Amino acid sequence: MDNVLASVPARVVVTDDLHRSRLTVFFRLLLAIPHFIWLFLWTVAAIVAAILNWFATLVRGQPPQGLYGFLARFVRYATHVNAYLSLAANPYPAFNGDPGYPVDVELAPPARQNRLKVVFRIILAIPAIIVAEVFLGTGWNFVGGPSGRAYYQEGSKFSIAGGVVLGTVSFLAWFACLVRGRMPQGFRNVLAWGIGYLAQVAAYVLLLSERYPNLDAGATGVLGGQPPRPVRLRIEDDLRRSRVTVFFRLFLVVPHAVWLVLWGIAVVLAVIANWFATLALGRSPSALHRFISSYVRYQTHVYAFLGLVANPFPGFVGRPATYPIDLEIDPPERQHRLITLGRLPLAIPALLVDSAAASSLLFVTAFLGWFASLATGRMPTGFRNAGAWALRYGAQVNSYLYVLTDRYPYSGPESGEEPEAEAGTEPAPLAA
Amino acid sequence: MRLGIRLVLLALAAGAWIAAAVLLWQSSVVPGGLHLSGADPRRYFTDRQLARTASFERFERWDFVLAQVTLVAVLVAYARYGGRFARESAAGRIGTGMLLGMLGFGFVWLAQIPFGLADLWWERRHGVSRTGYLGWIFRDWGQLAGEFAFVCLALLIVMALAGKLGERWWLPGAAAFVALGALFTFVQPYLMGPLHPLSSRRPRLAEAAHRIAVHEGVASVPVRVQNVSGETSAANAMAIGLGPSRRVVLWDTLLDGRFGERQVRFVIAHEYGHQARRHLPKGIAWYALFALPGTYLIARATRRRGGMADPAAVPLSLLVLVVLQLAGLPLQNVVSRRIETEADWMALRTTHDPVGDRRLMQSFTRTSLVEPDPPTWSYLLLDNHPTIMQRIALANAWAAQER
Repeated sequence: MDNVLASVPARVVVTDDLHRSRLTVFFRLLLAIPHFIWLFLWTVAAIVAAILNWFATLVRGQPPQGLYGFLARFVRYATHVNAYLSLAANPYPAFNGDPGYPVDVELAPPARQNRLKVVFRIILAIPAIIVAEVFLGTGWNFVGGPSGRAYYQEGSKFSIAGGVVLGTVSFLAWFACLVRGRMPQGFRNVLAWGIGYLAQVAAYVLLLSERYPNLDAGATGVLGGQPPRPVRLRIEDDLRRSRVTVFFRLFLVVPHAVWLVLWGIAVVLAVIANWFATLALGRSPSALHRFISSYVRYQTHVYAFLGLVANPFPGFVGRPATYPIDLEIDPPERQHRLITLGRLPLAIPALLVDSAAASSLLFVTAFLGWFASLATGRMPTGFRNAGAWALRYGAQVNSYLYVLTDRYPYSGPESGEEPEAEAGTEPAPLAA
Repeated sequence: MRLGIRLVLLALAAGAWIAAAVLLWQSSVVPGGLHLSGADPRRYFTDRQLARTASFERFERWDFVLAQVTLVAVLVAYARYGGRFARESAAGRIGTGMLLGMLGFGFVWLAQIPFGLADLWWERRHGVSRTGYLGWIFRDWGQLAGEFAFVCLALLIVMALAGKLGERWWLPGAAAFVALGALFTFVQPYLMGPLHPLSSRRPRLAEAAHRIAVHEGVASVPVRVQNVSGETSAANAMAIGLGPSRRVVLWDTLLDGRFGERQVRFVIAHEYGHQARRHLPKGIAWYALFALPGTYLIARATRRRGGMADPAAVPLSLLVLVVLQLAGLPLQNVVSRRIETEADWMALRTTHDPVGDRRLMQSFTRTSLVEPDPPTWSYLLLDNHPTIMQRIALANAWAAQER
């Protein structure tokens, strides 16, 4: 485990109990105003500190203890504010960035850094910044720090407008928390994942560590397994990628795109029939369930191929256990008629998360993964797993929408697996 | 099957093939015995024009030849090593064949890009093309995706038939390709993007076009204008479609003032000539005649790789297909040139304007830098239209006949 954590610049530590105070949730934006002001002031100081830290690290090969401590505290405080603002945590955060907040961050201790990597840090960070942009989107100041100033030029420094992933999930979570007084676990974990990744990017850019940010949910600190669901993603991919098929990937998908559309026409009719049948019988008829399941599975195979989440060219019939990224769908089960009746409106929040957040992340990881796979012949684990999250969530949303199951999609990114450590990384304790 | 019966069947098939080819060949209305060679280009073109077009086309010709040599070299390498990409597929027999076909097509596309760019550079240098380099690379990706889809459809047909019929797939396979060709010809007018009525641009010319159509017995076929002037200054026109989808399409570069009304009328009459003489259905018939031996030879050539039912044979089949196409190019050009000559003859009969025809040919040489009298090897291998000098000679021959 230490080995794993030693390979990332930072990780989140989540001790949140999901309980939310409706009152503070309702006024969350207003309550955060003092933190915006304080974050702004701290950001100005952090910009100066970051510049000094760049020179000092270049000269000494390691950040000075004082600057490191100041910037680490700044990253931690910004993480607390992000968590509070996005509803990933409940209590009002302290203004000093002390550890102990329910969504906290641990940072790698100061260590020697390769000077060449220090010189080109901003350039090296570009792929990570692009992914961070998907989590935050234009208009969000991710930590309010100097790095944030540098990357998110389009957004106001104090902007609280949501990003693609965090914004969409926080927006939906606001309603859920007001109604239930609790944060849905899936939403909280997605937010913790995004906040953890942003903390990694900040730590990397501010020269607190030279370890590259890792998008894998486990590597960001979001641990644990998926709760039981009738629709599950099975990953047997070995990360190897054929450079030739990666290069032509967009064109190789053309016949599948045509077939998806043609099959999709039949599936639309089947879904309508399935809705009526499930409403009448209380469960989906086997034949319709099988037909629609095959389509959802096929769709997952094709998107996995397109998004570089898997390597081989997929088959055309959505047969189970024939693809490294496969979908396991349980046989028909009883479904609540009321949930079936209101299926379409009930699915809207999940559709929003799927179309705005999961699809954006899949696109960006595929885009960046294309270059990485061409260069190395391998897909980075973090990108593959982020893509797999998007595929799993998308498949669960579709299965819910197509009346294959009445279990609501689970948005959490936890994979239940230990994240892989990078070869050759020395174990080191996390502190600060 | 005994050898004797095979030979008899082969002879019967060859006889039927020749009979059909002769029938199609002789359906032309162009009188026999016309003398279309030997005219002196210097009577119609200045030395500067001749030098400029010769220089322009020399580069284009060699660019084409090098592109074809590279194409074959790439496919030879792919035929040898391409089978190993089968391990990148989880798609079963036909799906794997599709993957291999698309990869082969992808390699061909990549290998052709440098030659396409060189050609574009040359055309831009001579003011024939206005397309930017990046624009050229990215502009036809939709069409490229369509071609990938067509490769998959073709392999789906071939491999499904080969899976059922073994080596005898080639006969229904050829029929299927002819049907696809006919379908594509029919839908082509709907895939070309926006086409505008001629009457909205040039009402007087549209009336003249209608009179030509009536004269040639194709009054129901409309004339449409395609906007291409943003990409090229070259002028062109075409007859497309089948049955109710038949159209005559003029590039808007024909209407930009560089061509006189008589010249444009002649172009319209030429394209209506194609429709009146049913050249598109005849083209499909010719395609059928070439497709039959073509699919047979592919079936034979891929036998040692397990036949077309086996995805491993797909890379080799691509090579065989391209080699057959290159080998058949001179023959196809002979057919195409005869069809074009007949369309010219129809236009002369309709317009009674050999002077307009000659001026049109002179304009083509000036605007599109077409060499009036290319070298014989280039004529045989590359030219699917009669040369400019042959077309002028045809106009002269028509005028002489009228006198």
